[in-house]
Amino acid sequence: MTNSEHASIDQYVDMPELLARVDNDSELLTELFALFQDDFPKLRDALHNAVHAGDPRQVEKAAHALKGMLANLSIKHGAALAANVEAAARAGDEREIQQALAAFDGEETGVLAAVDRFMAGGEP
Amino acid sequence: MKILIADDEAVSLRMLEKTLERAGYEVTAVSDGRKAAEELCRPDGPRLALLDWVMPQLDGPAVCRTVRRKRSQRHVYLVLLTSKSSKEDIVEGLESGADDYLIKPFDPGELKARLHTGMRILELEDNLVEAREDMRYKATHDSLTSLLNRGTILELLAGELNRKQRNKHSISIVFGDLDHFKLVNDTYGHMVGDEVLREVARRMLGSVRSYDFVGRYGGEEFLVVLNNCAVEKAVDRVEEIRKAIGGSPIRTTQGPIPITMSLGVSVSRPSDTLPLEEILCEVDGALYAAKSAGRNCCRLGSANRA
Repeated sequence: MTNSEHASIDQYVDMPELLARVDNDSELLTELFALFQDDFPKLRDALHNAVHAGDPRQVEKAAHALKGMLANLSIKHGAALAANVEAAARAGDEREIQQALAAFDGEETGVLAAVDRFMAGGEP
Repeated sequence: MKILIADDEAVSLRMLEKTLERAGYEVTAVSDGRKAAEELCRPDGPRLALLDWVMPQLDGPAVCRTVRRKRSQRHVYLVLLTSKSSKEDIVEGLESGADDYLIKPFDPGELKARLHTGMRILELEDNLVEAREDMRYKATHDSLTSLLNRGTILELLAGELNRKQRNKHSISIVFGDLDHFKLVNDTYGHMVGDEVLREVARRMLGSVRSYDFVGRYGGEEFLVVLNNCAVEKAVDRVEEIRKAIGGSPIRTTQGPIPITMSLGVSVSRPSDTLPLEEILCEVDGALYAAKSAGRNCCRLGSANRA
């Protein structure tokens, strides 16, 4: 078991900022995290597929979408790592893309686990 | 106020939708650029929009360009909302026709404030349009009767005379003059005279078709343009106007007053090339003939009788 599987959602999400953005509406917060659980894996898979296909334009597009989703949920570090992938793809630097993707993958596993735990009621 | 939001990212779309609904907006949410453009180009579509930059079908700037190209009647206030934040992006977004630009993730307070700015601008535009329409109406209509004024009806008549050759149809030009109107003013006063003129205008408008024109030419003189009306029908149509005026006394604050109208008509056929001034002389002659024949009747111009 890794540390990320036990990490609190606060480690990934700037909860005060997010709560302010949703006007402290916990129902909406739950709804948004549910949308995240549905959509994030699809976008992540699209990113991986684009990297494997060697298509920097699609990589940039998928990373941009991930960055937006993460930033909206105040998952700031995750959004910054997605932005790195986007920037590397825009520059067309294959090596940079791989490095940025590896860093992003390391983070996203923890993010998803933390959101899953939060949604399962594992933490308030 | 209606607002359109367009974003293909579900979390962002839902968050925006809820934030704006709470702020009292009537939200239409779409997830691609083409649908956004369709909604915004509808005549009754939203006039305020938040558009994501990267979207399927059409991206945000392309939506802005489409809306600016297609919908020119009323301004639509377009805000691009995206995580693109370089100066080049901002310039590109604004040059595509966006009015404002917000960086994701949005701050609810800033979002609402910027939309308020948009609403103020739309309100200002509405006031300007309303004032312009009001001025245009005043410049083209008679203030007492609300009929077209002399300048406007002559302009319309000149246009119809040009068009009739192309469309190969005749138009009938009518002068109507109230009989002994001076007596009404002298007997009942000018206020009652004004009441009579207003009612005459209403009756004249009620006796012509929607594509005919009625204007106040001078004091108690009116000019009517009957489109697509050949000589065979002209006298009957003018008789309808005469009966509408004289059929029943006009109710005024000083009691009912019987009013009649004399009318002269001339018909301009598609092949006729008589200039406007001469046509008006011809119609004036017909009106004079109606007056000479005892008033409360209609006479056809001499050129049409020949």
